[in-house]
Amino acid sequence: MKYAFFAGCTTLARLEGYELSTRKVAETIGLELLDMPGSSCCGTTYLEAFDRKASMILAARNICIAEEMGYNIITICNGCTEVLTKANNVLKSDPKLRNEVNEELSKIGREFKGSVEVKHFVRALKEDVGLERIKVEIKRPFHGLKVGAHYGCHLLKPSDIMRFEDPESPKILDELVEVTGADSIPYLGKLECCGGPVMGVREKVTWNIGLEKVETLKKCADAMITVCPFCYLTYERCQLISEVQPNLPIVHYPQLLGLALGLGYEELGIDKNKIDSSNLMKFLEA
Amino acid sequence: MILESKKVFLSKKNLEFRKLIQSRHGAEKIMSCYQCGTCTSDCPIAKRIPEFNPRRIARLAMYGIKDELLAGDTLWLCAGCYTCYERCPEKVRVSELISALRSIALEEGILHPTFKALFKTIYSQGYIYEIGEFENEMREESGLPRAPEPNIDEIRAVIQNTNIQKIMGGKFD
Repeated sequence: MKYAFFAGCTTLARLEGYELSTRKVAETIGLELLDMPGSSCCGTTYLEAFDRKASMILAARNICIAEEMGYNIITICNGCTEVLTKANNVLKSDPKLRNEVNEELSKIGREFKGSVEVKHFVRALKEDVGLERIKVEIKRPFHGLKVGAHYGCHLLKPSDIMRFEDPESPKILDELVEVTGADSIPYLGKLECCGGPVMGVREKVTWNIGLEKVETLKKCADAMITVCPFCYLTYERCQLISEVQPNLPIVHYPQLLGLALGLGYEELGIDKNKIDSSNLMKFLEA
Repeated sequence: MILESKKVFLSKKNLEFRKLIQSRHGAEKIMSCYQCGTCTSDCPIAKRIPEFNPRRIARLAMYGIKDELLAGDTLWLCAGCYTCYERCPEKVRVSELISALRSIALEEGILHPTFKALFKTIYSQGYIYEIGEFENEMREESGLPRAPEPNIDEIRAVIQNTNIQKIMGGKFD
């Protein structure tokens, strides 16, 4: 299965561990992630508020690259997923806006056709690969590992645009954690936003929001997983800045899955995460 | 203060501002708000900063009180989490209202420096960070391919007729 791989900005610039683990897990499962030449920032989730048309245009330009390649898009950032999915769905269903956007795109010889889908990597894992198929590939499952899954916001919301699971009671990350043998535990505030978008406006609020979830999970979980680079950085940074010990290990979901698939700690870039997560290894079946 | 008074008199300017808000995408239904407060009850920001109050923002919008709505950090503290969007029983969806207000603020030259910096970087680098030779060397050392090189000329060509172009083009400082 081949996909156009839209890696966004933050992962490319800051999170080698996330990218390494995503690429390695995809390779192991049989998904081919192809780079998108000429692709750029999706525009960020903020742009739509300021200038909806510009947001649609920037997103559409990226989608066009995948359309020309002929493959569906896989994203690994919740923000990118929302921006591209929204543009894709809105432009597919609103001919007037589509014409306006295509008028601008024609200046660079591109045209939005609405021929591809956009999916977050975890959604592709569930819908295109399937949990049963992933289970077969598990080489060494976890035992007794309690994981707090953080969904983030834009994987599921706004639900009328994302058309994925019910944001009030989602299951996908819990299922994907459990396929590795770990327990995905319920916890207070599980579905709360990471607070990342406010970091540039009132940093302390973001740290407050982040640390609250971290403290909750320290009491009931061994580790946290994220599926968005922005959420990941928030929970990592708030711990580093507050200097509160001990830390709560956080890993990107593909790093967790990768370990269970039999891939190595450094191969998955877990050593590049700033918070030591080596305790995960003792939960793997010998 | 208008929200504390027993009688509220709306001037022509107030009504015009309300109409302007209602003309924006997503903010058409602000008058359906009956101030139930569901939006505020689980807002991650409102829980920590009393000054950010979605219910109050909706009320100010219904009264068309422009200066309070565009002042301070009111518009910039929304985290865009869509919790209020999902739960509003009347589909007023304060997150859309804040988007409408942000677009109005932009037209008046108001844009928080953090967002301005982000968009300026997109304009000059194609990403929200610089991903140059140094970053690509680090990537290659870890066994990753070079990052895609954004087609900046394309980006600039296609956003020429947009409001944000004025920001990226350096008109506002």
